[in-house]
Amino acid sequence: MAQFAIENLTFSYPTDPEHPSLREVSLQVEQGEYIALCGKSGSGKTTLLRHLKTVLTPHGNREGSILYDGAPLDQADLRRQSSEIGFVMQNPDSQIVTDKVWHELAFGLESLGCDQKTMRLRVAEMASYFGIQGWFHRDVAELSGGQKQLLNLASIMAMQPKVLILDEPTSQLDPIAASDFLNTVKKINRELGTTVLITEHRLEDIFHAADRCVVMENGRILADDEPKKVGQLLYTQKSDMFTAMPAPVRIFYGAGESGAASPLTVREGRSWLTEKAAGKKLRDTLPPQPEFPEEIRDPALEVKEIWFRYEKDSPDILKGVSFRVPKGTLFSIVGGNGTGKSTTLKAICGICRPYRGKVRVDGQDTAKCKDLFHGKLAMLPQDPQCLFVKKTVREDLEEMLPASCPDKDRRIEDMAKLCDITALLDHHPYDLSGGEQQRSALAKVLLTEPKLLLLDEPTKGLDSFFKRQLAGLLHRLMTEEGVTIVMVSHDVEFCAEYADSVSMFFDGQLLTTNTPRRFFAQNSFYTTAANRMSRHLFPQAVTAEDVVALMKENQLT
Amino acid sequence: MQDYDVFSRCHPAVNFLFFAAAIVLTVVLFHPAYLLVSLLCGGAYYAVLRRARCGRTFGFLLIAMVLVAAVNPLFNTLGETTLFTLFGRPYTWQALCYGGCAGMMFAAVSLWFLCGGIVMTSDKFTSLFGAVIPAISLVLVMVLRLIPGYWRKGKQIAGARKCIGRSGAGTRKEKIQGGMDVLMALSGWALEGSVVTADSMRCRGYGAPGKRTSFQIYRFTGRDRFITALIAVTLAAAIYAAAGGSARAAFIPAVSVAEVAGFRPILGLAAYAALLLIPTFYSIREAILWHSLRSKI
Repeated sequence: MAQFAIENLTFSYPTDPEHPSLREVSLQVEQGEYIALCGKSGSGKTTLLRHLKTVLTPHGNREGSILYDGAPLDQADLRRQSSEIGFVMQNPDSQIVTDKVWHELAFGLESLGCDQKTMRLRVAEMASYFGIQGWFHRDVAELSGGQKQLLNLASIMAMQPKVLILDEPTSQLDPIAASDFLNTVKKINRELGTTVLITEHRLEDIFHAADRCVVMENGRILADDEPKKVGQLLYTQKSDMFTAMPAPVRIFYGAGESGAASPLTVREGRSWLTEKAAGKKLRDTLPPQPEFPEEIRDPALEVKEIWFRYEKDSPDILKGVSFRVPKGTLFSIVGGNGTGKSTTLKAICGICRPYRGKVRVDGQDTAKCKDLFHGKLAMLPQDPQCLFVKKTVREDLEEMLPASCPDKDRRIEDMAKLCDITALLDHHPYDLSGGEQQRSALAKVLLTEPKLLLLDEPTKGLDSFFKRQLAGLLHRLMTEEGVTIVMVSHDVEFCAEYADSVSMFFDGQLLTTNTPRRFFAQNSFYTTAANRMSRHLFPQAVTAEDVVALMKENQLT
Repeated sequence: MQDYDVFSRCHPAVNFLFFAAAIVLTVVLFHPAYLLVSLLCGGAYYAVLRRARCGRTFGFLLIAMVLVAAVNPLFNTLGETTLFTLFGRPYTWQALCYGGCAGMMFAAVSLWFLCGGIVMTSDKFTSLFGAVIPAISLVLVMVLRLIPGYWRKGKQIAGARKCIGRSGAGTRKEKIQGGMDVLMALSGWALEGSVVTADSMRCRGYGAPGKRTSFQIYRFTGRDRFITALIAVTLAAAIYAAAGGSARAAFIPAVSVAEVAGFRPILGLAAYAALLLIPTFYSIREAILWHSLRSKI
């Protein structure tokens, strides 16, 4: 008997009865399965998952049935659903209820009224399994995003659920924390036999681990099969979702292969490629990218030996950061968590005042410049929600222009068109999806007409489709408006594809800067999946397109 | 900081009992000898907890103490021994003595509250009352988490707005407008977050029928039992002495303070000192113990 059996589920929100969010969805979930649910933002993934727990089920018109263990789901009472169906949401912070790690672990057990002895044992067990002992007594506010999300998972696992449902659990995490988290989920599935249903943008980490991959589009299930077959199906249907597939899959079909035997991991891709190239003499004919210039004249931004610490007695966060950014380029900074990347951006803006060193924007010292944020410099913060203060996106944009501005409406319309948010202008900012919020916030920032734009993790939580839109927008800004962009990012793939230069940040310093191909070709770990898969044959190839082009060039297709 | 402090690792109930006793007795036993003992013991424990960083507080309390003593006669002109007249009002010796005692009491109570604040962390407090009233303790815990959270987010929003030229600096009207905007953004964010938190709570069975329990991370050990007994015995002896009038003191019209002589008064004061020295004693013993252990390695 299936654990969950969804039959012909159709659902529409009361605000929009004409366009159902789910259309005739039927899905069987067997005990112990690992199911990856993917689809573009707004395809109905979250709505579907929330139907699997009665307390989270949205209000609206519903048809069809959901069976849990053979009986209608709503007949299972709150106690049973709470302990048996675990649900992890997107936002690591808001999900946490209490102020201490140990208390959070015990929260669910307290609600169920467990006695002290049981609670002690379960909490201890979970803390050990998840490696939480080291921070068991800490305040939750001191934890990193990855630790918070792991805590959320652990506090649900303490209730010993049979099914674990995860709704984009890693969208707010950096790639290393995200893959740690997803490995833990996989471990739970393999070792405890807990059924897992997960939605995720980062298919690289879950695609190969999943037993089944379910693809959704416009509220319908488009595909429901093994990952390899789903890859094939999306390719033959020329679906938008194909761009979200892991690099090995994209390279496999890009090179003209067909069939359902595509490699899913870097390791599989590597051996497939080696086999293809066996006995052939290869030429690496990608056009060489120039070295990043040593000497930059008239830079858009010059950072000179800045030092910063948060408190008098705390250690230095920035230890003499120096770099120059040439005009009209996309300058990206990568590096691990907590190395000081975001602090560097804050120091450039003056939110954090460096105690030594200088920052010059377009040749002007920022410490002496009064109208820095009017037409010279602007920053898009990591959390775009920080910028929304009004009830609609339009009002939020109007706030940026002086009341006396004669062509106010026209400028807002133009900006909305540029950022592709015309249809969203009358929505509440909080009702938008992550990608839409990102673009609305960007529109707001761009109304200050900055010559230098700082972006802090702009691709966080965006799906592959929105990322490409963002890249297009940035490109237009650089070529048409002559804007210089400095971007801090964890997204190695994005930097490799769209940046003009990539810099490595480590231990409070900017170590090296180079053009993407030269930069990634030297790294063996901090590089793209496509490069890791093909570096033994094509050391210069960093994107899937590069690899495909070289394969065609060498007649490996 | 508290590595040697055994007392802060005791059960919250023991901590609470001790600080409640110390603060109440300091206020009730308004007698110079008792106040001095309380002041010195409180100072000693504060020094143990804060180590080198206690100097500023001590300086501040000393000034406050002198100020209270000196200022009291200006308002209170009763008392039969006039030292001198100021602004045509008598400045009396009795009022000065009373002020001195009040100053000591103020300083001693402040010190005990400061120590209590360091030892009784928020989680100890909530876990103590969580055992009695789980629902209220949960609300307390959530508030304790949200207030610093709002503060951090508010700062983040203000920073983000500064970077798009909306720093809210300038005229007073602009400043008020800027503050309002941050508040608006903050309330939107808080509302959004609270919806998620509510979902997360219901997901984990909050509001399920049946009694809610409260996880107790602190265990009542043998040492806790011993320290509780110690507190009880010394407390009883101090109260016994005080009940016999050995802590009586009157200042108006003439200073009449019970003498510390004879069995009962001496026992009372000694017990009082022993009670208030319990945490300091344990800390010092622990430090010596560790030191000797280490020197043997």
